[in-house]
Amino acid sequence: MADVATLPDALEEVAPPKSRHGAAAWASWLLRRLGLAALTMWLVSVLVFVSTSALGDPVRAILGREYDSNPGRVAQLTEQLNLDEPLAARYLDWLGGLFSGDLGTSIANQQPVSELIGSNVVNSLVLVLIAAIVMIPVAFGIAMISANYRRRRPDTVIQTVLLTLAGLPEFVIGILLVALFSTTVFNILPAVTITGAGGSPWDEPKSMILPVATLVLAVAPYVSRIVRATLLEVLDSDYVELARLKGIPERVVMRKHALLNAVVPGIQVIALQLAWLAGGVVIVETLFNYPGLGFQLVDSVRNHDVVMVQALSLVIAAVYVLVNLVADLLSILLTARARTAISS
Amino acid sequence: MTNHEEATPGNPGYSRRQVFRYTGIAAAAVGGAELLTACGSDDGDGGGSGAGGILIHGATGGSGKDTLDAHAPVTAPDIARVSNLFEPLLFWDNDYVLAPAVAEQVVPSADALNWTITLRDGVTFHNGKDVTAEDVLFSIKRVADPKAPTSGGVALAPIIDMAGTKKVDDKTVVIALKTPYAVLDMLLAEYTFGIVPADYDPAKPVGTGAFQYKSFTPGKDSVFTKYADYWGDKALVDELHIQDFADPNAMVNALQAGQIQTIDNLPYNLIDTLKGQGGKVLESDTGAWVPFTMRVDQKPFSDVRVRQALRLICDRQQMIDQALSGYGTLGNDLYAPFDPAFAKDLPQREQDIDQAKSLLSQAGQEGLQVQLFTGDDIGSAAPASASLFVEQAKLAGVDVKVVKKNPFFGDDYLSYPFGQSFWNTRNYLPQAAVSSLKGGTYNETHFDDPKFAGLIAAAQRETDEAKRTSLLQDAQEIEYNAGGYIIWGFRRQIDGYSGKVSGIKPSKYLPLGSYKFQYASISA
Repeated sequence: MADVATLPDALEEVAPPKSRHGAAAWASWLLRRLGLAALTMWLVSVLVFVSTSALGDPVRAILGREYDSNPGRVAQLTEQLNLDEPLAARYLDWLGGLFSGDLGTSIANQQPVSELIGSNVVNSLVLVLIAAIVMIPVAFGIAMISANYRRRRPDTVIQTVLLTLAGLPEFVIGILLVALFSTTVFNILPAVTITGAGGSPWDEPKSMILPVATLVLAVAPYVSRIVRATLLEVLDSDYVELARLKGIPERVVMRKHALLNAVVPGIQVIALQLAWLAGGVVIVETLFNYPGLGFQLVDSVRNHDVVMVQALSLVIAAVYVLVNLVADLLSILLTARARTAISS
Repeated sequence: MTNHEEATPGNPGYSRRQVFRYTGIAAAAVGGAELLTACGSDDGDGGGSGAGGILIHGATGGSGKDTLDAHAPVTAPDIARVSNLFEPLLFWDNDYVLAPAVAEQVVPSADALNWTITLRDGVTFHNGKDVTAEDVLFSIKRVADPKAPTSGGVALAPIIDMAGTKKVDDKTVVIALKTPYAVLDMLLAEYTFGIVPADYDPAKPVGTGAFQYKSFTPGKDSVFTKYADYWGDKALVDELHIQDFADPNAMVNALQAGQIQTIDNLPYNLIDTLKGQGGKVLESDTGAWVPFTMRVDQKPFSDVRVRQALRLICDRQQMIDQALSGYGTLGNDLYAPFDPAFAKDLPQREQDIDQAKSLLSQAGQEGLQVQLFTGDDIGSAAPASASLFVEQAKLAGVDVKVVKKNPFFGDDYLSYPFGQSFWNTRNYLPQAAVSSLKGGTYNETHFDDPKFAGLIAAAQRETDEAKRTSLLQDAQEIEYNAGGYIIWGFRRQIDGYSGKVSGIKPSKYLPLGSYKFQYASISA
């Protein structure tokens, strides 16, 4: 009896600690990753600040030939940028401002930076989000069809098309779409984004179609090819072979055994591509006159608007860090081995 | 991202110097002219269900630096915006002739030292207030502030006598000058000289224009509504949106897709695209020029025969055909073609290689080698005309090497022995003051001729137009014979608009009928 009684006890004692231990492990993993993310952001902030300050005297860059003739403006800008203080002190000031939500004042038009970039940040994020929602199922769907017909005609056709799309710069795709749907052939979709009186690009939903389509066509081929390659690898593996030998239908093999394992590399590619879309598609933004982050960054650089450049660089860096964090988290949750490695 | 700088005729510039140049231009305004000349209702009613609706104008350029300040416009969108919100005392009409606007008349005293401004009755600001002498005085003092003149006041600030400039009665102001200036009225007609109320706040821009402010986002767009109590021809459309575009291709696409109705500064390469899609192209002559500049105080150009030789090397028609895609008019090494005093009787200079060779050998400069400085920030016609000049010079045995500077208008600007530049439309006196006199802000050729300076000074004092014209023509002859500019042509302004828009007429002053959108109407 004593033995019988001790056995459940032992189990009870072992199991709860294990789950508590598991939760704690997850929490500590997450904390560590958040800490790393914070560290990355801090490093980025140092780099951005130092590099924008090391480009020589910003006041001279802003004023150009006016520098010598307009001492009043020189003094005003010097004061606005606190250039009399040492670099470290300016950095701390700026960092302190960031934490209290004060991004500074734009040099180009003397308005608060947060007000100026706010709508562009939202515009870019919405564009990327919609592009992601459309792109992910499309890319995976194509990869599955392609893998299914591996090395037969449909696969060859799909791969050729994907390679062609991947080889075209994204703005060429955009120009072709505009010519096809807005100007030359059909006249059914808006060619550019017009935001009157502080409105948002999606106030006219139709004008989102071409920018989203361009981004999807630019990114989906990469994702699709990676997923297909992984799928093929998985489909050739022993356990899939075993599943087939056990008589499981091919469709179920594909869905349950292959796809789940091929998802992880896909997530990593998607994360990198989406982060790139947030800040790196200046030409597409220009083509569609879409008021996004990349365009604003280029404009600010051209205006020597140091304060804006600093804020925008940080936002774009934050998008990279955040998206990659989410991707890592998803990858671990979807990989049994990594999951158990953390919780045990 | 630099696309928009490429083929844009008259690409609006951003450097400080370019700002300055736009200001002097001539630009302004159209509205008055139509009152005088074309009287009567515009073709608004003719083109279908005329009145009402929203006109969206696509403007080239624009950035986070955009401003609605009446006296500080820089880029094309800035100029389009202030031209619709504000008005100067006088207007440049579509033919580049002065016409009354907020002022009924501006009359000089016999010695050109005192100018009496009589205000028009019934002109009101967008907040309903009448325009009074105080408002005009405030505007003059803001523009010509001796410590910080805005772009429209650069020429006025050094000569205005602020103590003597005062109100006579509610509708009359006298401007007093320290030195005579016979063409002060030309300065008062610039679009950079809009009349603002004495309590002017750039954040809530109130003017007297045909449209009033509703909203504005720098680098993106602005929304103005029709001003119902406008003193002149009231706007035919209800709302005017001005949308910034960084890329001219996107702008043309938007026009073709029917999202916008007008665009300014259409690149030459897109003209056929636009026409093919049912859009209309508006061509206007301008007095804008992209000259070669020779420093008259430096070898080899200090020898007038060398300057003449290089002027004779230039094949002007070929320059226009290639550097301006044919959209230009011939130049004769003289600026200010719209000035009533323009010396149009001087013989048109043409390419003459033999004569050039003989002048060079007389000067002992056979086999001359020179460097020609150029840069992208001068505008698209500059690099094209520079490489063309290299070819033309070879015919006369002159070896020209093109040196590209970026930025061109940087610290070395004004010291290039042989370079290029760009200027917009101006009349002769304001132009000569900045570019051909010792002490002129942008005297690129370092031209300094005492006889010339004497003629200009005399003309500035001369209020009799016939006498002034004769003085100015003598001055032009000096520049024609000995000046340092090679002025091969004036570019034509090209803008585009939708086939549904009517009422926009070519103007010699600013693009798209000087941006006076109150005359435009849209048919369904």
